[in-house]
Amino acid sequence: MKIKNRKTKTLRVILYVVLIALALVMLVPFAWMLSASFKLDKDVFIFPIQWIPQNPRWQNYVDIWSRIPLMTFVLNTVKLTLIVTFLQLLTSSFAAYAFAKLDFKGKDLLFLAYIATIAVPWQVYMVPQFMMMRSMGLADTHLAIIFLQAFSAFGVFMMKQFYEGIPTELCEAARIDGMTEYQIWYRIMLPLSKPSLSTLTIFTFVNTWNDFLGPLIYLTTESKKTLQLGLRMFISQFGSEYGLIMAASVLSLIPVLIVFLSLQKYFVEGVAASGVKG
Amino acid sequence: MKKKRLVSLLTVAAMMGSLTACGGGGDSGNTTAAPAGEESKAATEAETVAAAEGQTVMKWSIWDKDLTLYYQPLIEEFEKQNPDLKIEMVDLGSSDYQTVLGTQLTGSGSDFDIVTIKDVPGYTTLVNKGVLEPLDAFISADGVDLSAYKGLTDQIQVDGKLYELPFRSDFWVLYYNKDVFDAAGISYPTNDMTFEAYDALARQLTVDTPGQEVYGAHYHTWRSAVQLFGILDGKNTILDGSYDFLKPYYEMALAQQEDGVCQDYATLKTSNLHYSGAFSQGNVAMMNMGTWFLSTLAEKIKSGEYTDCANWGIVKYPHADGVEPGSTLATITALSIPANAPHKEDAWKFVKFVCGEEGAEILASTGNIPALMTDDIAGMISAMEGFPEDEGSKEALQTANLYLEMPVSNKSSEIEIVLNEAHDNIMTGNSTIDEGIADMNEKVGAVLAQ
Amino acid sequence: MGKTKTIDPAVVQKKLQVLEPRLAELLRQAEAETDPKKKLKLGKLADRTRDKIRQAKTGERFSRQMKRDMVAYSFIAPNFIGFAVFTLGPVIFAFVLAFLRWDGNNAMEFTGLGNFALMFGNKRFLAALRNTIIYCIATVPFTLAAALALAVLLNQKIKGRNFFRTVSFFPYVASLVAVAAVWNMLFSPAKSGPINMILYNLGMAAKSLPKWSADKDWVMFTVVLFSVWKNMGYYMVIYLAGLQGINGELYEACGLDGANTWQRFWYITLPQLRPTTFFVTIILTINCFKVYDIVYMLAGGNTGVLNESAIVLVYHIYEEAFRNWNLGYASACAMVLFLMVLAITLVQFRGEKKYAN
Repeated sequence: MKIKNRKTKTLRVILYVVLIALALVMLVPFAWMLSASFKLDKDVFIFPIQWIPQNPRWQNYVDIWSRIPLMTFVLNTVKLTLIVTFLQLLTSSFAAYAFAKLDFKGKDLLFLAYIATIAVPWQVYMVPQFMMMRSMGLADTHLAIIFLQAFSAFGVFMMKQFYEGIPTELCEAARIDGMTEYQIWYRIMLPLSKPSLSTLTIFTFVNTWNDFLGPLIYLTTESKKTLQLGLRMFISQFGSEYGLIMAASVLSLIPVLIVFLSLQKYFVEGVAASGVKG
Repeated sequence: MKKKRLVSLLTVAAMMGSLTACGGGGDSGNTTAAPAGEESKAATEAETVAAAEGQTVMKWSIWDKDLTLYYQPLIEEFEKQNPDLKIEMVDLGSSDYQTVLGTQLTGSGSDFDIVTIKDVPGYTTLVNKGVLEPLDAFISADGVDLSAYKGLTDQIQVDGKLYELPFRSDFWVLYYNKDVFDAAGISYPTNDMTFEAYDALARQLTVDTPGQEVYGAHYHTWRSAVQLFGILDGKNTILDGSYDFLKPYYEMALAQQEDGVCQDYATLKTSNLHYSGAFSQGNVAMMNMGTWFLSTLAEKIKSGEYTDCANWGIVKYPHADGVEPGSTLATITALSIPANAPHKEDAWKFVKFVCGEEGAEILASTGNIPALMTDDIAGMISAMEGFPEDEGSKEALQTANLYLEMPVSNKSSEIEIVLNEAHDNIMTGNSTIDEGIADMNEKVGAVLAQ
Repeated sequence: MGKTKTIDPAVVQKKLQVLEPRLAELLRQAEAETDPKKKLKLGKLADRTRDKIRQAKTGERFSRQMKRDMVAYSFIAPNFIGFAVFTLGPVIFAFVLAFLRWDGNNAMEFTGLGNFALMFGNKRFLAALRNTIIYCIATVPFTLAAALALAVLLNQKIKGRNFFRTVSFFPYVASLVAVAAVWNMLFSPAKSGPINMILYNLGMAAKSLPKWSADKDWVMFTVVLFSVWKNMGYYMVIYLAGLQGINGELYEACGLDGANTWQRFWYITLPQLRPTTFFVTIILTINCFKVYDIVYMLAGGNTGVLNESAIVLVYHIYEEAFRNWNLGYASACAMVLFLMVLAITLVQFRGEKKYAN
């Protein structure tokens, strides 16, 4: 027993060393962002890197609010992100249930249609899509961005894969008990798919929050623009204000991290954790 | 009602924003931040306040709204002269301007009246697409004198028609840091310098002690910075399809790079170091760059951000033996009217105003070079606050021959890709000069043959 | 439930005359069939026929199967309607475009396979195709393995787990401008660049130090390394979610047999993660084929133009669509990309189905 204990202890130590090394590698860009956000533009790309700025420039964090209507952009982005994430979760998990657990005509064909569109780069159908949206009167509206983002094939595909991991017997037992399919989805599938719903929430949130090309093409009125467009306002024809860009980027990371931290608790409640522990 | 409240809320928010900027400590950064903040406030109001009865509102596509000082005065003056017309700016962003503009003008649903054209490849693509209105009829009806543009308008005709009118025309000059010259005890460059003299001067100024390097020259990573030395003798153009004439210039730049006279291209490319950042470090003696850098440089020195290059000057571009000094590269910014514009006649009034003398004066008063350049206007620019006071710098604004960085051709954008790629390969050492030139000859030949 | 209509016995009889022998035939075939997969299919067909017979007898307007279909469609509809209008429609239009010449404004011209012919004479396209394939082959397996390893590691009960998980997700969410800038500084082509310094101290000659993303022979390697590092956190999240779905009892049963950690991973974790792996592989492959911004940020420099040594398909599509407005040609390139992805996806689907049986 003792030998085994010592062995696991050494293993633990190695594990932590690896993890900490990994964490450092992962944190380097963030450290750079943070350090650049306190610098003057001319010093940002100076090589070798100066990790701790000589005269930290707090002013950058003040300037970003006055140079562009950042508050408006943040509110717009929050609004879009919340709506898109909600719609995406609802419609994707709904559709995925049918694809995973129900048998119906045209299932394979419909599913193929979903997968196929994932493989087509957006750049190709961006122009026809834009012309269509404009003819519907949706150019320069938030609704266009919502429609663009909320019905993605990715969400359906992912939820379907996770639902397939849930035993079909559960559904059948519920059917025998007289539950309708809608009840099964609501009472059985949803509660069981918390980890995957969390994943989808995180991904949709991050994607919508960081989306640039969509708002770029569709939103032209300043009061409707989003955070990512705001960041680009610091990039001008004859120079980019990287100090300000990084300050705003650091701030824009915070909501994403909050979402990630608050949802990842659903990644531990599964039964697996107890089994794998060494 | 609701809308109004939102407007006032936004205005309050914008005001608060500029207040915090002013209250945020008396350090130097404020001088740049505060006016920009106010400007954006003014712009928000302009954007949302509805047009008065009977006014025609025209949409104008632009970029860098808050950083470009002449938009607002141009609009104000124009609206004063034409009370029934209103201009609404639509900022499409700088970095993807051509993509967004191209998409917006696609099909028949666009409602832009005036569009700004950023560069020649973007211009020819839009002309090829057929979304721009030829301006010749307007020009002849109003008797606009094109000779005032010193031949620039001839260079941007497509099949004998003119689809844009330039209002801004930047050209390349040689910036130098007087402190570096003083420290080395070497006299300043002159307005009449051959490439040999320039190369020798750069080498003379170079210090390669590790940690205390001084670079005699600096070339930004754009192809124009090195490649286009070759077209200034007027014997060749960049669309010829034969590029052997570029060889001596690449040899000069590569030798300088090898000897530490200028910084390594590959490092500059991957580090994204901006030319202003490089020049502001105070260890670059000479840098060739466009006149758009004049106002930025003056402003950043005034704000105290740049301290190591505060003592600067400009001279005319170096020239090949036997060529008149003052031959240089030009790049133009122009206005066009989309083929689907709702108010073409009124839009033309605006184009004529901005590109004409009154517009030119407003541009010059903000330190920018208008396309309509007269002696008076050159005087206005050199009188700008922060412009070097020596006579040489003032004289450097006089140009002899202007060559567009990219001339007009319906193949411009395809040729540009080939030239960029070859430039990159030569400068990084991925191919030799001969290989790079052979590559250009072959690929541009293929593009031209299509 | 369903409304009944007046039953015409003659019509019913006629229907039954067709349906009943068909059912008998199906049942006979199913009986004789040995392949379990085909047997299942025949069984389903028989069920449907039986359902139709019942419908004919009772005179209901909708058969049970139809009702079940309706329920399924009602699940899909909210997503599918939005998807069909805003995505599928334009995508189909883009496919048609591949056979046309169009600049987005003037009238379209039919060119048949002209765009495809142009494509294979275009050096930039061929280079893009080659680079994209190399990139995918190199990136997919490494990212997959790294993500899985990371997920299994961070699913253990360890101190600071939340911290490590969040940190792993960082490179994915941090701004690409920042991430690429840091990367290019670490892999600076200068002799004084941190990585090159290490190589130099290890005895590499100063002349032969790689120029990384500015070097035509090293640029793809740099891009691959970068993208594995940037994206593994993303796929780790999917794997983490997948790990939560594994039934802990399986491990306990295995633990009693004295299986070690590796065996448990190999015989339980990995097979149980199959749907997740399948999903990750497909999404990863597709995303790799669609790579664009990473390469652009790393190797584009100030001009943002990618050389033949670094150009990838979607970048080529982008430059053709928006610099030159050759929308038809760009669509044709996308079609090639699509067909490659489709082929790979189908192979994976087939593999998955085979494995499932």
